Amino acid sequence: MTDSLPYRVRMTGISKRYHPIQVLDDVSLTLKPGEVLGLVGDNGAGKSTLSKVLSGAIIPDAGSIEIDGEVVSFASPADARAARVEMVYQDLSLCDTVDVAGNLFLGREPRRRIAGLSFLDKARMHAEARAMLDRLGIVIADTRLKVENLSGGQRQSIAIGRAASFDPRVLIMDEPTAALAVAEVEAVLDLIRAVSARGVSVILITHRLQDLFLVCDRIQVMYEGRNVAERHVSETSIEEVVNLIVGRKFAARSAGAAGSTGVPA
Amino acid sequence: MSAIKSETSSRLVKASWHEKAVARGGVVSIALFFAVVCIVFSLATDAFLTTPNLLNIVRQSAPLLIVASAMTFVITTGGIDLSVGSVLALTATLSAVLLQWGVPWPIVVLALLCLGAAVGALQGFFIAYEGIPAFIVTLAGLSVIRGIALLITGGYSIPVDPASGFNMIGRAWFIGMPVPALIAIVVLALAYTAFNETTFGRYVTGVGANAEAVRRAGVNTRLVTLMVYVLTGSAAALAGIILASRLGSGSSNSGQGFELDVIAAVVLGGTSLFGGRGSVVGTILGALTVAVIANGLILAHLSPFLTPIVTGSIILIAIWLNFRLFKGGSRSR
Repeated sequence: MTDSLPYRVRMTGISKRYHPIQVLDDVSLTLKPGEVLGLVGDNGAGKSTLSKVLSGAIIPDAGSIEIDGEVVSFASPADARAARVEMVYQDLSLCDTVDVAGNLFLGREPRRRIAGLSFLDKARMHAEARAMLDRLGIVIADTRLKVENLSGGQRQSIAIGRAASFDPRVLIMDEPTAALAVAEVEAVLDLIRAVSARGVSVILITHRLQDLFLVCDRIQVMYEGRNVAERHVSETSIEEVVNLIVGRKFAARSAGAAGSTGVPA
Repeated sequence: MSAIKSETSSRLVKASWHEKAVARGGVVSIALFFAVVCIVFSLATDAFLTTPNLLNIVRQSAPLLIVASAMTFVITTGGIDLSVGSVLALTATLSAVLLQWGVPWPIVVLALLCLGAAVGALQGFFIAYEGIPAFIVTLAGLSVIRGIALLITGGYSIPVDPASGFNMIGRAWFIGMPVPALIAIVVLALAYTAFNETTFGRYVTGVGANAEAVRRAGVNTRLVTLMVYVLTGSAAALAGIILASRLGSGSSNSGQGFELDVIAAVVLGGTSLFGGRGSVVGTILGALTVAVIANGLILAHLSPFLTPIVTGSIILIAIWLNFRLFKGGSRSR
């Protein structure tokens, strides 16, 4: 990866406490332009919370976020979107009974004025939706199809395509490949590559470890609210990542593994 | 990978004519029912298929058509407005009262339309901003607003001066059409355009399908929700004005059960009570089907009490057909 580039995202010392539970404890995260970072960890490890801090949905108790060297503080998802941080939620946020183009342009529909009144410009919306899909290599026959009639992978692609169309600096994806058929996973991973090739930094949260090795440059492992390891994909293996994720719970040798990461517990 | 993609794309053929019909299953089935009902009454009676009778049907069903077109928006957001019959009674009553006080009729019409919008806005506020279910808010509205109308009139019907220009709204003819029918056509055209060609209509569907997604897209979903109740309130007020003008009196008992006729027309037209799926064209066909049945049974010298039985049966059969025959148009339900 391009080591000389400045950081796109630098989160340092992020902490968040929900009364008795320290959900995030002094967590850091860095991301370079065009880099794909896999964020993994067991349920409750804090990866979703960390990504929500970056997308403005959760306000941390402590810590700082820099984007392209500039310190930012997000009070709402709208602030994060203004700083061009987009998040694709696990529930996709699609309207099933609205067509593909309508979902891609939800909230920013092209309009035309007739006699001083504002109408939907459907022709332009469908043409631009088609161009948007083609640019990202998303295969959907007809932008007039309702989203409910699409496969899981196509729905995921539309959610990602919509987020990518805001020209984001950072794109966060929560479990984009969960519950998809094999070929559809391939298409979504292709889409992630296409997006990152356009210079977008991607954070990928997933339980499917095999996906990490196909698209990620780097993997960050979280355990009980802390970073426990960071690896370049070329320097690690699924076995090692699994051990890091399950942590000290099972194997005695994981103590050695955790020690070798250089991250103090 | 490219092999997978090309295979996928070859399987994704554009929707055929039949599939499009299935996708619009609700509208197709009510169109069939409408055609069948019209054909049956045309054959069974001589008077049905005549221009005066057809114009009479549209004139009589104008209040239903107007309110049902607004109700389509409400039900598409996943809501309901049970108060429309009471708002109709209140505006019918108040129009007679205000005219008796000597208020000029154009001002009466404007004031009552504003009143209807205000009642809708108040109910919409409780639904959209306070999160109280629409069923409960408008059930309370149904009771309170009808009560106000009864309180004003003491239960009596108040006559409208036959010489007043107000009566033109319900009785006059213009370019060969009854004025209520013309008003209904204008309202329906506006409703169709707003529903299908504006961002507002798009967000109404979106709120019904996935309100959270629309909110995340930066749309003021609460305002959209409030506005649909303003629409039904204003439409019910307009219907009340037309009714008082046509009958020449304002009665606090008018429009009882009207909300159910309106909801029946909308649901018959294929609009989903769960929200997210609506059709103004379907609503028009649904309202006209209800009106044609009532008209045709009388022309066929059958008991008018058969009307609710036939209408109710058709509602059940039409919805059943949507679920069975046209299944596949919607995967989710």
